[in-house]
Amino acid sequence: MKKFFMPAFQRRLRVLALSVVLPLAWTSCKKYLDIVPDNIATIDNAFTLPSTAERYLVTCYSFIPPESDLPYSTLLSGDDLWLPIDPLPTYEFVADECWGIALGRQNVNAPLLDYWNGPLGISGLWEGIRDCNIFLEHIMQVPGMSNVQQKQWAAEAKFLKAYYHFYLLRMYGPIPVIKTNLPISASTSEVKVKRQPVDSVFSYIVQLLDEAAADLPVRVTDENQELGRATRLAAMSLKAKVLVYEASPLFNGNDDYAGFANKDGTALFSGEVSLDKWKTAAQACGEAIQACEAAGYSLYRFQPTAQAQNLSSETTTKLNIRNIITERWNSEIIWANPNSTTVYLQRQATPFALDPAAKANALPRGNLSVPLNIASLFYTRHGVPIDEDRTWNYAGRYDLRTATDSDKYEIANNYVTAAFNFDREARFYADLGFDGGIWYGQGVYDDNKNDNWVVQAKVGQTQGRQGVTLFPITGYYAKKYVYYTNVMSTSANVYSMYDYPWVELRLGDLYLLYAEALNEADGPSTAVYQYLDSIRARAGLPDVADAWDQYAKDPGKYKTQAGLREIIHRERTIEMAFEGQRFWDERRWKTAVQTYNNPITGWDASQENASAYYRVKVLYNQTFSLKDYFWPLRQKDITVNDLLVQNPGW
Amino acid sequence: MLFLAVTVGGWLMVVLPSVSHAARNTLRLMHASRAVLLTDCWKPARFPRSTSLFPEALATHEVRGLVTDSSGAPLPGVTVVVKNKISIGTTTDLNGRYILEVPDNAVLVFSMVGFDTQEIATAGKTEVRVKLLPTRSVLGETVVVAFGTQKRSDMVGAVTSVNVADLKTPSSNLTTALAGRIAGMIAFQRSGEPGKDNANFFIRGVASFGVGKVDPLMLIDGVESSVTELARLQPDDIASFSVLKDATATALYGSRAANGVILITTKEGKEGKVKISLRAENSWSMPTSNVKLADPVTYMKLYNEAALARDPFASAIYTHEKIDGTISGQDPLAFPATDWRKMLFKDYALNQRYNLNVSGGGKVARYYVAGSYSKDNGVLRVDHRNNFNNNIDLKSYTLRANVNISLTKTTELEVRLNGNFDDYEGPLSGGAAMYNEVVNTSPVDFPAYYPADSAHSYLNHIMFGGLRNKTFSNPYADMVKGYQNNSRTLMLAQLEVNQDLSFLTSGLTLHAMMNTNRLSSFEVARQYAPFYYDLTAYDPATKQYSLLNFNEETATEYLDYNLPDRSQSNAFYLQSTLNYDRTFNEKHHFSGMLVYYMQSTINATPASLQLSLASRNIGLSGRGTYSYDNRYYTEFNFGYNGSERFYKSRRFGFFPSFGLAWSVSNEKFWQPISKVISNFRVRGTYGLVGNDQIGAADDRFFYLSEVNMNDAAHGGHFGKDDAYSASGITVTRYSNPEITWEVARKANVGVELGFFNQLNIKADFYSQVRKNILMTRASIPTTMGLSASVRANVGESSGKGVEFSADYQQFFSHQTWLKILGNFTYSTDKYKIYEEPDYKTEPWLSHKGLALSQPMGFIAERLFVDSVDVANSPPQAFGSSVIAGDIKYKDINKDGEITDLDQVPIGFPTTPEIVYGLGFSFGYKNFDVSTFFQGVARESFWIDPASVQPFVNGGRQIIKAFADSHYTTDNQDIYALWPRLSTVDNANDNQLSTWWLRNGAFLRFKQAEIGWTLPSGWLKRTHMQSTRIYVNATNLLEISSFKLWDVEMGGNGLGYPIQRVINMGINVNF
Repeated sequence: MKKFFMPAFQRRLRVLALSVVLPLAWTSCKKYLDIVPDNIATIDNAFTLPSTAERYLVTCYSFIPPESDLPYSTLLSGDDLWLPIDPLPTYEFVADECWGIALGRQNVNAPLLDYWNGPLGISGLWEGIRDCNIFLEHIMQVPGMSNVQQKQWAAEAKFLKAYYHFYLLRMYGPIPVIKTNLPISASTSEVKVKRQPVDSVFSYIVQLLDEAAADLPVRVTDENQELGRATRLAAMSLKAKVLVYEASPLFNGNDDYAGFANKDGTALFSGEVSLDKWKTAAQACGEAIQACEAAGYSLYRFQPTAQAQNLSSETTTKLNIRNIITERWNSEIIWANPNSTTVYLQRQATPFALDPAAKANALPRGNLSVPLNIASLFYTRHGVPIDEDRTWNYAGRYDLRTATDSDKYEIANNYVTAAFNFDREARFYADLGFDGGIWYGQGVYDDNKNDNWVVQAKVGQTQGRQGVTLFPITGYYAKKYVYYTNVMSTSANVYSMYDYPWVELRLGDLYLLYAEALNEADGPSTAVYQYLDSIRARAGLPDVADAWDQYAKDPGKYKTQAGLREIIHRERTIEMAFEGQRFWDERRWKTAVQTYNNPITGWDASQENASAYYRVKVLYNQTFSLKDYFWPLRQKDITVNDLLVQNPGW
Repeated sequence: MLFLAVTVGGWLMVVLPSVSHAARNTLRLMHASRAVLLTDCWKPARFPRSTSLFPEALATHEVRGLVTDSSGAPLPGVTVVVKNKISIGTTTDLNGRYILEVPDNAVLVFSMVGFDTQEIATAGKTEVRVKLLPTRSVLGETVVVAFGTQKRSDMVGAVTSVNVADLKTPSSNLTTALAGRIAGMIAFQRSGEPGKDNANFFIRGVASFGVGKVDPLMLIDGVESSVTELARLQPDDIASFSVLKDATATALYGSRAANGVILITTKEGKEGKVKISLRAENSWSMPTSNVKLADPVTYMKLYNEAALARDPFASAIYTHEKIDGTISGQDPLAFPATDWRKMLFKDYALNQRYNLNVSGGGKVARYYVAGSYSKDNGVLRVDHRNNFNNNIDLKSYTLRANVNISLTKTTELEVRLNGNFDDYEGPLSGGAAMYNEVVNTSPVDFPAYYPADSAHSYLNHIMFGGLRNKTFSNPYADMVKGYQNNSRTLMLAQLEVNQDLSFLTSGLTLHAMMNTNRLSSFEVARQYAPFYYDLTAYDPATKQYSLLNFNEETATEYLDYNLPDRSQSNAFYLQSTLNYDRTFNEKHHFSGMLVYYMQSTINATPASLQLSLASRNIGLSGRGTYSYDNRYYTEFNFGYNGSERFYKSRRFGFFPSFGLAWSVSNEKFWQPISKVISNFRVRGTYGLVGNDQIGAADDRFFYLSEVNMNDAAHGGHFGKDDAYSASGITVTRYSNPEITWEVARKANVGVELGFFNQLNIKADFYSQVRKNILMTRASIPTTMGLSASVRANVGESSGKGVEFSADYQQFFSHQTWLKILGNFTYSTDKYKIYEEPDYKTEPWLSHKGLALSQPMGFIAERLFVDSVDVANSPPQAFGSSVIAGDIKYKDINKDGEITDLDQVPIGFPTTPEIVYGLGFSFGYKNFDVSTFFQGVARESFWIDPASVQPFVNGGRQIIKAFADSHYTTDNQDIYALWPRLSTVDNANDNQLSTWWLRNGAFLRFKQAEIGWTLPSGWLKRTHMQSTRIYVNATNLLEISSFKLWDVEMGGNGLGYPIQRVINMGINVNF
């Protein structure tokens, strides 16, 4: 049997083996490797539908630096705010980045707040500019969109492109201007761009904003969907601000940078002061204000609510001030950034256990402290600086004083605190929290009940020092950041916060810029006083003229250009306190060398008794030199592109 | 109860319980007579030389005989073939007997692995008895090479075959045994954590600086495998282990082989009696060294010192009261001093390994079935109050069945099934994380847990220590709060067909293989959220306190679960090989081969659309060899390969190679000295090999751009109350259709020398140039605003090196023998073309000409003496203030400040350039002893200051050595081990610099083993063939200049330490 079977079986097997193996092996190899299907997304897919194009526009917006996010903003980089220890543990949501600049740690190897390169979660602004350019290249071809809408979106991208250039210009001075994108395949020499003179950078930014303003709607059409996007008013206001920067001493005829030039000899700063720049700036400010007012914008005033009852006039004035930036989209806000969250900022600014029953609630951190230098800037109740008020005891400001019933809306009755905290203007009490100070809101809203929270910040008291965080190292809180209806839960780690968008441009800012530009261009005038006084009126202060005439040691100060300049600068610093303006203002005024070369001081937070607590303690010896006016370029960037010149001093 | 199983031809024939001595004697009788019985009953099954198939072989006669070893014991399974007619052949049966019909005047060739082949002419004989002698020289061995085997004496390429016995170390991870065993392999191990202790290994160094694949191609039974699969392989199951190193050896694998190839085949069953082999081991494993930490009181004092060092306004972190209370030790709850390491870890762990394999078979089918089980435990403690086990417990099982079936005399079918299963149970975040957490937790802030006091006696949960209003981590809580299960399953099915095509032309064979494997794994984590308590209202007078829970809202007493990770992938592989091998006129030996393969892998959990597409390779390869008279050899290989990763026009690469060899000792003129220099052979090869796995594993299709159409990171929201929100769109890769293969040009020259057939020395000199290395364009400045880096095949590197291996063996008598093995590899590499800025003024920054892993850093001169010294030195702006006691760097470019431009190459490369090993084994009667030493040299590593910086991360502990030697104002030691203390990461001191650079060279007493084989007399009554009992140990001793931790862990000294293992085992063969 087997003899018959085997050979036939073998043969069959051989045939089987060959017929199975060989065809399998020689299937088409070309097809086998062709596995990528056709519809893989490419950048063109972003511009085939209006909805995807809009998402690309959102991408362009996403690069706006979140200025309320402490690790990415300059809020902590000057002397406006201070922290208890260096560094705060990471769980405090404050990175070293921002504070390092205040502490003098800016450097060329790994620059802090490096918006040029965008490391560590920072969005590199050159990338943002490239995205704007890509958007501009494609938007006009998107099918299914009206020409008007295409132009409007293009204008938004131009606005953002201008903003990003401006942001870099403020930080780095003369920067390269990226009008159109270079192709990916550009040669090594093509990609090496040069820095442009500051004047041409400014003029390009202004040109972009003019182009944008032409195609933007005055206000957004659908507030529920679009607030936060660029408008014509935003473009005009930004242009006004940009022009004020251009006219300011840092950029306008700055002698210190006279010799600063590219390798090919192009001077990057003009040596001549141009008064016309102030005139242009003033005109732009005027136009922007006019347009805003015509569109219904006005300085914010608090409207009583069902919740906030029986308000004293003091409390109402304080809410007028506190809510300017914290009340979402109020009548004063021209442009705000909804993507810049304020939740962490409010947590850091709210005193721990403000409600003493909420001791278990560690969400309010109360770390963000205001140095004494800043608290000193606020006026007396008469609207003049504390060292200029004839009626205010400047020499005895650190003495102890007991509050009386007449202070009850500002300082708790019978509380002993420094004389420094008495008889100050409403913005002092609205913007700052301090030992003995009344803290309106946060769950307690009825002035008649006299049960407002009282901050008690000495050791052993509720907000006193314990451990290394959770207390104000200087004795002052930045109350301005905290929306008044936020409520901390007593039992759980719940702090219900009202997340407001970060205000980028507001009418009050424009008023002050206008006053400044007018005074610089033409000297004191009624227009200057008018805009200053409207700001002061909201803060419950008398007019400049009245205040100085009545209370100042130097009554005629406001009548000279230089005197008025000082008054405008101080007014602006107080009004815009903690809004991230002082850091840049001190630079553009070229006063930073004086301002930032002083010790940072505070009350002695480690003390239990008032007499010991109210002694001035030096926290840090801050320094600032000429080179600090601008960021350094990262060493590596200069190595890669040897046409870039480093900023002087770095 | 004992069973006697007798198998014939794969069929289980008799199963008898042996009940008594008497019965066993009877059985032995049966056993003896069975030889005749079996031979007879098998007869019809022998394949008769069919006259129809082989008409020329008419004149035949039958030859029978017995094959024995030198002691006269019968040898089953010896291959007996007719010379030049391999189709006529058989193997010896269980009793060493064979019967074969042979043509008249045929020459019979008797061969078996481990024995010298013998040829005997049958002319006129009907019975041929043969005594085979054991192979004295390794030259006769066959070596597994790409898609086949070659005789060692015919090798042209650089191939090392590893003695599998050397890989039997007391570890359930095979990769840990590789270091120092193989000339040309650079290997080191950085962690000792079970399941994560795979060693890193590279063949002839890391030759590419691309981010793609740099480790070798690993093929197990011809199928590409992962490092973990190699790690789980049982040495008992390995038949051969070859390492292919140069171009001709690897060219057939074309695109996949640029980094060398490791080729492993598993055992197959051999015709013969059933063989059972059992190995059982039990081992104790413990860290080779533990980092010494400062005591809690020193910790507090130094923490205070650190706080004041940099901020004179700072207040002390720990009060005197606290420090004094801790010193007194009176109240350990109020003043805790927790030794977290003791709290968490045991001194040693117990591990077990079992391996059982059964093999045998007959003429129709042969089988090899093996199973293994290993259990590796971690050193973590388990809290008895939990009812689950949070210690590391890695159970690994494998099951392997290799079955060969002879369908016809010329067709063989082979089925390989392999299952590989890991069950891991362990701490939630892994063992290394626990080691890290111990070091990162302050010893004095809270105890691990509070004993339940009267106020809390009703509680069901453990009262873990914690800190209110502060983030903290309690390592003990994190360890015992839950556990994690991982499961990994690899199933592999493989079908092979071997077809002898000599009916077409003599010497032609066809081999086809199909393989599929399925890998899946998942993790389940179960945990409760611990209740943390803080001690409050402590009264020093009464020692009363109260415990306050502060996370009641979030803590749970019950377990919750989550599924962190799961993955699944399928691979399919198809290969067919046509082989031709023939010798003409006894002198001209030709061989040729063509291989076609295709493979496809697909992953079930891709992160993107592009990754969801299959990875594919396809290739046609060939080899041709010709040798003349065993003296002159030539070989030509090519690989023509395609990869799905590249654009159509760049998809295929052609990789040719050739080699020449000359066996000088086979020349006539060598005859006079051949007794002394028994072997002298030179060989050389040159060729190209490719690599398609360039770039990161999750980064394929460089010719396609990749756009994230849904990028939340660049999204935003708008509207009064954020009513509109959308994601953004980002380009994550720019397309470049030009990107293609990375190509290696490899050259190799080898010399082999043998003396007295006892000492063999092999030396290989090699060099290679890597071209087309994928690199990021460095010339593109940030102002371009690109959202992804642009890459191109622009890099080029070169490497060269030398490797030596030597082995010596001497049999002093049949009871006493000595073996010495040594190898040495020196491998260097350097950048030839590297995308970098043009460093005109700072040429020292250029990578060109430097080793690929050359560290770059600052030259640390010393610590600053005082503030005057700081003021008078170039400013060092790294973002932190610099004070006395910080590291002072050298201003290389003399520009008056310390910047990145002052970095220079420092130290040796971080991959060792020299790896060597030396082993001795010695046997006397039933005893055998072996030792193995292994070392690396010319390696540097960094102590990573940021990972050992004390007091950061909520209170990291301080290493005792740093506590003992650091700069203080009282002791201004400018060469102290640690600079001035700081409570935060100090950017100035943390720069990569010579301050932190250490020499990574070491010499290890890697392994020692003593074994005792039971005298055969003892076994006579047990049916055992042999039994060996042994004790061995790894990592016994280490010589190194670095003392803080085990130097082999490199900069990662605070991870899971490398383990020292003491092991006892028994190996029984039936």
